[in-house]
Amino acid sequence: MGNEAEILRDPEFQKMLAQRSRWRWGLSGGLIGVYLTYCLAGVYFADALARPFPGSSIPWVIALGYLIIALSIGLSMLYIRVVGRLLATPLGERESSQ
Amino acid sequence: MIGSGPNITAIFIFVAFVAASLGITWWAAKRTRSTGDFYTAGGKITGLQNGFALAGDFMSAASFLGVTGLIFIGGSDALLFVVGVVVSWAFILFAFADRMRNLGRYTFADIVAYRLQPERLRTLAAVGTLTVAIPYLIAQMVGAGSLIETLFGLPYFVAVLIVGGLMTIYVAFGGMLATTWVQVIKAVLLLAGVTALFVMAMAQFGFDIGAMFAKAAEVHPRGRLILRPGGLYDDPISVLSIALAFVCGTAGLPHILMRFFTVPDAATARRSIGYAVVFIGYFQALIVVVGFAAIALLVGQAEYVDESGRIAGAANMVSVYLARVVGGEIFYGLIAAVAFATILAVVAGILLSASAAVAHDLYAKVIRRGEISDQAEMIVSRVATVVLGVVTIGLSLWFRNINVGVLATIALAVAASVNFPVIFLALFWKDLTTRGAVAGGVTGLIVVVVLIVLSPTVWVNALGNETAIYPYAYPTLFSVAAAFIVTIVVSLTDRSERARTDRAGYDEQLVRSELGPT
Repeated sequence: MGNEAEILRDPEFQKMLAQRSRWRWGLSGGLIGVYLTYCLAGVYFADALARPFPGSSIPWVIALGYLIIALSIGLSMLYIRVVGRLLATPLGERESSQ
Repeated sequence: MIGSGPNITAIFIFVAFVAASLGITWWAAKRTRSTGDFYTAGGKITGLQNGFALAGDFMSAASFLGVTGLIFIGGSDALLFVVGVVVSWAFILFAFADRMRNLGRYTFADIVAYRLQPERLRTLAAVGTLTVAIPYLIAQMVGAGSLIETLFGLPYFVAVLIVGGLMTIYVAFGGMLATTWVQVIKAVLLLAGVTALFVMAMAQFGFDIGAMFAKAAEVHPRGRLILRPGGLYDDPISVLSIALAFVCGTAGLPHILMRFFTVPDAATARRSIGYAVVFIGYFQALIVVVGFAAIALLVGQAEYVDESGRIAGAANMVSVYLARVVGGEIFYGLIAAVAFATILAVVAGILLSASAAVAHDLYAKVIRRGEISDQAEMIVSRVATVVLGVVTIGLSLWFRNINVGVLATIALAVAASVNFPVIFLALFWKDLTTRGAVAGGVTGLIVVVVLIVLSPTVWVNALGNETAIYPYAYPTLFSVAAAFIVTIVVSLTDRSERARTDRAGYDEQLVRSELGPT
């Protein structure tokens, strides 16, 4: 061990760990929360979700489903960018030398 | 069989796909010299290639044929699955991608055995892998057999032999490199095929998506109810169980997790999942439209849909029938061949994960305790591939009339209730102990099997009882919760010597999981 124990005590590492956790659980929790709300809305507000989305004949349930798909893609892109930046420090993860 | 005999286009495209894939296998076999090459293509796959392959691994016949069939019957409720899949992939990216790539080498067992007692955890992981892989393989092969019977006019057993034989050849000779390239080609074909199907179907409505939904609601026997949620599942427990099955289950599928190890580092792993999220999101968005367009265009055509609104042949033929209606015989053959290629590529990926579990985790690491040469392990993994291939072919011939849906549910539920909790807690919870992980994994497995047996599909439909003891289709709400609770309680009360070692190992694992191997 040794080396790992040292890194673990490093305030820089602790800071990075905290930031990464915030992004990891913030995005996961947010997105899964939105999805579960959507699922339960289908049970309790089925009639409302069957109505057409304003300005088209697409029902709300499908329009919202598309929005959540778009949100998943958007948040994934955001995460890849943010984590790449967080790790661009001397302490950051090692990229393969290939 | 629909049409006037075997479809020449379908046969031609399919034969071309098989020839190309066998060529790739021959090329890959020459480059597969070590176990690292065999299990993970030497970690040299690029982000984009792996993105296609991940998407290919996931976009199975179930998503291409199953979802459109489900929309045909249940309408909007299929969105639960469609959206859940994309959410799940984003979640895999946020929570798992970095840490898994950094800690693992060949299989997800590497991660759960990192600080816990390796032999017991590898055994658990291998059981978790095989109870996902074998039902999944049988489900795909039985589905493929029936599909080919319908499309090409070949007898069922010939179809199963072709699919099973080709999958075994890809994996046994070409390992992960061949499997990845087969998966990449199939993913490109499938994305192109669905795009073409989408465009041609929408052209029938002058590209007015609203008009298409309006027509679907007008012609479907259930009318506008087809657009309303609740057609299949209208209680919170069913809906939450499905949500959990998809979010946690996808994150626990061994053949998907194995793909993280085919890229050189965590940054590439993240990028590759980013690509996969885009491909899968795109695919899912189109398949919903294709599903509803099929309702709008097929209902009322006696050749495809009978008067009670049931699809001729099987519900999972919706996509291919739609192709015939909008594009004629050639396009029909094209989509049929794509569907076949899809199944073939997916089963190869699953078979590879199963043989890695047997050869690497069980034989090399548990039985031989790592005392085995690379050369010998290669032989074992190839033998394991052939044996598993033959067993699956045999089971698919034997269980021809099994309910494919039940098998797929078992596979996903086991992934969610056995693999997911142990991986998640091993990565993020310091107090997880060996005893807790094993107790939780076994609990998850037992609860899944018991609840599925007591559920309507088995207890009522297969065993002929009056009412189901467990009234929901998916066991996951209870099985995932049970696995987590048992793992946590047993870990917290574990005072053994081993538990101290397990907890003490977390700090080192944490640093390595964030920064990568030294």
